[in-house]
Amino acid sequence: MVVHFLELAGLALRNLRGYLLRSLLTTLGVVFGIASVVTMMALGRGAEDEILREIDKLGITNVILNSVKPPASKSANETRNWVSSYGLTFNDQIQIEETVPGILHALPVHSYTERAWEGSRKEDVLVKGVTPDYFVATKTGIARGRGISADDERERRPVAVVHQQLVRSLGHYGDPLGFTLRVGDQLYEVVGVLEDEEFRGLMRKALSAPARAENEVLVPYSTVLTRIGTRSYTRASGSFQATDIELNQIIVEVEQQGHVVPVAHMLRTLLEKLHEERDYELIVPIELLEQRRRYAAVFNVVLLLIAGISLLVGGIGIANIMLATVTERTREIGIRRAIGAKRHHVMIQFLLETVILSLAGGVLGVALGQAGVAAMEWWTGWEAKFTLDVALWALLVSCGVGILSGLFPAWRASHLDPIQALRYE
Amino acid sequence: MSDSGELLIEARDVHRWYGEGEARVEVLRGVDLLVQRGEYVAIVGASGSGKSTLLSILGCLDRPGQGTYRLGGRDVLSLRDDHISEVRLREIGFVFQSFQLIPQLSTLENVEVPLFYAGVPRRERHARAKAALERVGLGHRLSHRPTQLSGGEQQRSAIARALVHDPPLLLADEPTGNLDSETGKAILALIDEIHAEGRTILLITHDLAVAKHAPRLVTIKDGEIVLDQSTRGI
Ligand SMILES: Nc1ncnc2c1ncn2[C@@H]1O[C@H](COP(=O)(O)OP(=O)(O)OP(=O)(O)O)[C@@H](O)[C@H]1O
Ligand SMILES: [Mg+2]
Repeated sequence: MVVHFLELAGLALRNLRGYLLRSLLTTLGVVFGIASVVTMMALGRGAEDEILREIDKLGITNVILNSVKPPASKSANETRNWVSSYGLTFNDQIQIEETVPGILHALPVHSYTERAWEGSRKEDVLVKGVTPDYFVATKTGIARGRGISADDERERRPVAVVHQQLVRSLGHYGDPLGFTLRVGDQLYEVVGVLEDEEFRGLMRKALSAPARAENEVLVPYSTVLTRIGTRSYTRASGSFQATDIELNQIIVEVEQQGHVVPVAHMLRTLLEKLHEERDYELIVPIELLEQRRRYAAVFNVVLLLIAGISLLVGGIGIANIMLATVTERTREIGIRRAIGAKRHHVMIQFLLETVILSLAGGVLGVALGQAGVAAMEWWTGWEAKFTLDVALWALLVSCGVGILSGLFPAWRASHLDPIQALRYE
Repeated sequence: MSDSGELLIEARDVHRWYGEGEARVEVLRGVDLLVQRGEYVAIVGASGSGKSTLLSILGCLDRPGQGTYRLGGRDVLSLRDDHISEVRLREIGFVFQSFQLIPQLSTLENVEVPLFYAGVPRRERHARAKAALERVGLGHRLSHRPTQLSGGEQQRSAIARALVHDPPLLLADEPTGNLDSETGKAILALIDEIHAEGRTILLITHDLAVAKHAPRLVTIKDGEIVLDQSTRGI
């Protein structure tokens, strides 16, 4: 007949219950340690997921070129010349398609901001002239209707693909397909509805989309160029300003993922040759991804360090209280030993107490962490991802903390001399 | 003193002292004690003469500073700690002078402790502990804490705990010290009963009436056995 492990656990539990408040206070260090780590992990993973999704959306085999306003000094001169002209050119796109090997295509995008209106309702929109391949290359999903077709492009049709939300905010609540969209002095027929999706930080920046992605109007590239041209006018401080940007964006789709980095390198060299100033930017999602992974690695190390320190502190707290408890219960230990408890019975009993304590702390910590995650999401709008494996790790670690912090007190308890322990007052 | 039978306790030249050098206090100075299996021995002596110290050594709780001690033929002093625990658990029931009940546990749970470490299943544990407590007349105090018991009730709980696992050797340090004469008599009758079952009993007492109850009387003075007599026929 052997003393059942569960019986000892029951004994340990009983003792802890006897000092409920003290037990709770003792385990607080572990609770907060685990809670903070769980929260941080969830936030870290949430951010990671979000960024991965965004990078994936940009297209892992894409290199994206955007026109950007060049540094102030030079453009100030040009402003006096009434027209400021900068950015990617038609020639860039042709050069890329013709000279850079290993690419599927270089998709031109020309966009301009304008105001869409219907009656008295107005919405600022970003009209984007895109080619049919744009939808595939950027994984832009069509919920209903169709995208821009080759025929649209060839015949320069006045058709548009928009978000349903835009049509709604212009006061049309019926079927958006077939709706005639007025943008400035242009009329477009809505032929497709874009899938709703969440555009966030990086994505928005990379695609130079307006703050509200619902206000994108995708139209055939050829239609925009023939109807509007490349010049756009804005009223700034009383006088008109004209900006001449041939292409706002070029999306270069690379054949193989492994070639993205060398292609990006070639594009950099090519554009440096073609442009006198930095009036473009080059976004390589795969590089962002790697950079992101490096950040994540650093983040994880820091996280681990914080976790380690807080759990160390928590563990020391438990060990400290357990040492006091052992002293306090010297007599009980003496009695148990005198009656026939073996050293390992006493050892296991005390170890179980610290493990249960610490595990309870872990469970509370995970719960608190989850609450923390929910609160953080609610306050900041950040995305967090709570996964089961984090919870399991947390419990495993707190179990380990329990064992480590209990070892010395338990050893001490089990090596008390019974006869002296019996005399202890 | 029966000459036949098997030797259970064999303590020879047992010395025990506390402190070293100048401060050294000799408590036992060469005690020789042989007890056959099935004997009933009462130990008497003045306060501070070393009775409890001797009983602790015989109960494998304490070790002599010098001398040998064999229990049931085994040299217990050379055993590993775990093995000694096992001997205490299986072969000895000990009634402490100061009861030594665990204050956090109820009376019933206190009595269950030896069975707990013997690995007896919960239900059987309850039943046996309850029976032992009924035997000492405490069947109505099962859920009381030691602090809620009178001195005599605590003493009887301690006796129940020493008997619950049916040990072949019962060592009792003043088991009737806190009892009125009626209850004391009942306990002595119980010890007689246990003795009649064939168990070996050593008890310490101040009460000469109690001492006369035992067939053999050992008198200790200043850490030495000064008298070892059979009381049969006195
Ligand atoms: N841990 C100790 N340290 C120092 N001296 C001790 C210790 N334990 C016992 N003694 C001494 O040993 C002597 C014998 O003690 P013991 O408890 O054996 O006496 P006793 O015969 O049982 O007395 P009583 O009848 O009062 O219980 C005492 O004088 C006591 O002071
Ligand atoms: Mg004594």
